[in-house]
Amino acid sequence: MIQVSGLRKTYGDFAAVVDSSFEVESGEIFGVVGPNGAGKTTTLKMLAGLIEPTAGSATVAGFDAEDPAMRHQLGFLPEESPLYEDMTPQSYLTFFADLYDVSRADATGRIDESLDRLDLEYRDRRIGDMSKGMKRKVAIARSLINDPDVLIYDEPASGLDPLTTNSVLEFTRELRDDDKTVVFSAHNLYHVESVCDRIIIMNEGRIIARGTIEEIRQQYGETTYHVFTDVDLPSTEPAGDGRRRAVVETMSEVESLQDAAETAGGSVVDIRTHEPSLEELFLDLTGRRMAGPRTAAATEPGDEDATEPATGSSAEPTAAPEEPR
Amino acid sequence: MKLRTRLRRIWRVARWEVSLGSGSLDRQTLMAALVVLLCAGGVAATGAVVGLDGVSPNQDIYRVGVAADSPYHDVVDRHTALTPSQPDRDRLAAGEIDLLVVPDSSERTSTSRENGDSEVNLDVASQSTVSVVHASTQKGTAALTTFRSAIQRYNDRTMALEDNETAAYPVSVELQYRSRQSVLRDRVKTDDSGDDSDDTGITDGSATDEPNADDTDQSTNDQSGDDDTNGGSTVRTDSQREAPELAEEDSSLFERLLGSSSSSGSPAEISPPFPFSSLVLAFVFLIPMNFIIQAYGGSILNERINRRGELLLVAPIRRLDIVTGKTLPYLIVAVIATAAISDGIGGGLLSIAAVIPVALAFLAATFVGAMFARSFKELTFVTVTISVFLTTYAFVPAIFTNVTPIALISPLTLVVMELQGEAVEIGAYVFATAPFYLGSVILFLLGVGVYREEDMFTQKPVPIKFLDALDARLRGRKSVAVVSMLTIPFVFVAELLAIAVLFVLPLEVTVPLILVVVAAVEEVAKSIHIYAGFESDRFGRSASTAVVLGGLAGIGFFVGEKFTAIAQVVGLDDLPLGQAAQLPSGVTAGTTLGLLFAPLVLHMVTTAISALGARRNLRWYLVAMLVATLVHAAYNFGVVSIYG
Repeated sequence: MIQVSGLRKTYGDFAAVVDSSFEVESGEIFGVVGPNGAGKTTTLKMLAGLIEPTAGSATVAGFDAEDPAMRHQLGFLPEESPLYEDMTPQSYLTFFADLYDVSRADATGRIDESLDRLDLEYRDRRIGDMSKGMKRKVAIARSLINDPDVLIYDEPASGLDPLTTNSVLEFTRELRDDDKTVVFSAHNLYHVESVCDRIIIMNEGRIIARGTIEEIRQQYGETTYHVFTDVDLPSTEPAGDGRRRAVVETMSEVESLQDAAETAGGSVVDIRTHEPSLEELFLDLTGRRMAGPRTAAATEPGDEDATEPATGSSAEPTAAPEEPR
Repeated sequence: MKLRTRLRRIWRVARWEVSLGSGSLDRQTLMAALVVLLCAGGVAATGAVVGLDGVSPNQDIYRVGVAADSPYHDVVDRHTALTPSQPDRDRLAAGEIDLLVVPDSSERTSTSRENGDSEVNLDVASQSTVSVVHASTQKGTAALTTFRSAIQRYNDRTMALEDNETAAYPVSVELQYRSRQSVLRDRVKTDDSGDDSDDTGITDGSATDEPNADDTDQSTNDQSGDDDTNGGSTVRTDSQREAPELAEEDSSLFERLLGSSSSSGSPAEISPPFPFSSLVLAFVFLIPMNFIIQAYGGSILNERINRRGELLLVAPIRRLDIVTGKTLPYLIVAVIATAAISDGIGGGLLSIAAVIPVALAFLAATFVGAMFARSFKELTFVTVTISVFLTTYAFVPAIFTNVTPIALISPLTLVVMELQGEAVEIGAYVFATAPFYLGSVILFLLGVGVYREEDMFTQKPVPIKFLDALDARLRGRKSVAVVSMLTIPFVFVAELLAIAVLFVLPLEVTVPLILVVVAAVEEVAKSIHIYAGFESDRFGRSASTAVVLGGLAGIGFFVGEKFTAIAQVVGLDDLPLGQAAQLPSGVTAGTTLGLLFAPLVLHMVTTAISALGARRNLRWYLVAMLVATLVHAAYNFGVVSIYG
């Protein structure tokens, strides 16, 4: 449904996105995660045709991302979507329906259905009088007004209370059930982990990891063993209840600990396996790459390996400007 | 995308803009405005019903004691500041009246001695002399002055009714106001003949070297000396032979407001050929523009603040169509306001057609300004600047309507001409409005270039956004030539404005100054987009690329420059300054083939110089452009010296 190849965006010497390539299958929720300034929003906006790439290409639903015809197939929800405060949701959504050539009858049906599913109350109220969560729901309803095949949601649950967040996440899952393709960006990795089928992790404009969360965990995460003993050993630390704990990475180390405990007159009382969370993986991956500023000259086309962490930057440090949003 | 679909979407955006604009107004404010309007309308309607004819602060402020059968009673009765009252010396002494008109001067001495009041003799045409006693107060003195004026006007109107013109006006003088240029030519002829008697440029009609038939016609048919820039004669006409009361009643509201309807037979009443009232009326067209651009600029900036317009950018509608849709309501309002004003002041379709490009220019400049501004504070500065510049550009040249062809750089001159009843040729219309039309289109295109996510919602400095806007119009190398060509309207406007501003100075000063200014303006216009292209890394920064781009920009500019030949339509090249501005470019008629193509070489060379600097950085660009300007100016001096 979405093909991205060698996508690059530079602002002078600053590279916001560096040669990104990925594909999104139809009917999946695809997560784009990364720290602030990683290039997520720029990538999503290039997909939406809002930003012209410096190089590379992106096709959405078979159309070039910059082709206005593509926009009939797209629903875009920007991170900040200020609405027109003096209008009601009905008039606001009706205008966009007109703009997308949706018939008045279809528009009315879609507006009612979307707002029902999003559980939006007070539909006759001025948007300016609505809460942030209600405004967000109106914005989500607008993204669906043209019944698009592809939805690009940039931080859809940002700043919302837990109840509304859950509602939005649940709605996103329902979209997948409706065979919609959703590209989803979020800072909250729990949200990503709970909703997305596949993800890419971006840092400093590059894709540094990709796949299902399980695949990434297997590829980059390390399973650790928490070994609890009832005797004090040099490699252990207090774990409460008179127990001591050691964290090791291999089974041979576990066996060594068992031997040491028995030698000391005690024993291993518990062994727990720990799988890294997405957040730990994310911090681990991005933390290693926080070395220095990036420049457009840092990477030449064709020399990137998106899944391999880069080592440092080649150019002299420059003041990195704020990523345009 | 089909045209019909595009038009439908444009119309939707326009309707959306209207609903947004109306929705943003607070209901209470709307109600308050409505109440104020209703009150104002009610007051006006009441005034109309009871017969009030405008507000006159001097209405009946002086009471004049005059007998009902006195010939002066009519004089007093017809003057707004005077009101007739019973003639009674006791009332004058008591301060109940300010003037006393007495038929017999024999009473004067005793009265004056008793009350200390002053007395003077006045007369109404064809009537015997009477005595007027005024109260010995400042108000009494003022009343006397007003009374004198009233008698003078009454006499003038009475004499205008006289069948025997020679009896009423024993001396007839015909004045002919002539253009500065023809006076200069006459002076040259006079100097050649050794006769200095005609240096004033004011001639007897019969002795004029080049009798102007139009002027003569104008003067003999003119009813308003104030408005007559060609004639202004004091010769009476049949149309003026009407009753005094009719002459006053028939004057329009605007004429009465402006005090330009009266035409006197006395030399003191002769007005210079200054189209004051027409100018003021033409200026009225500009007033609504200032309000419209405030609303328009605010709407555009509102879309940019908080990223409101982002969602329109992802809708299936072109950026140009969004801008067109958002602009349309304001343009429609401007056209309606223009038509209403034109109808109100007696203008016609020409006035509307002349003002619409001005409205477009206001909107286009405001659009670009709103796209560049980073806050409402900056937008206020931008709109005020636009308003002052365009108002000045449109209004000041119109002052010189019929004095110099330069006046036609302003479309308002066409309005003034229409209000004066002068014919306007199509060439003059094109000359006056084409730069506005073209400039507006180009400004809109520049603005649309930055009507995109990357520029709309960022806080880039204005110069950077300007360069972005230029860069957005560049595609390949050939586009450099196209953009150069598109700068011509602005170059044209800048050069004509320089001429209009400098033409009052001595020619010895202004001609060299014009040559340098023209060179500088053209060098900037030819190279600024090349610099923008280099800054955005659209072009490689090699010297050969710079030279090629400079050459292309020079060619584009040369081609566009030839369109300025339209200036010849209105005779601008008859002026020394017009020649100075245009001769170096080879657009003046009668130039040789060499002079026709020499500018092409010049433009290519100088732009290449600027481009070589632009490829490095701003400092080098400025230095290179200075060098290019000096070369260009030297060329201009050379051409003017040889051919001028």
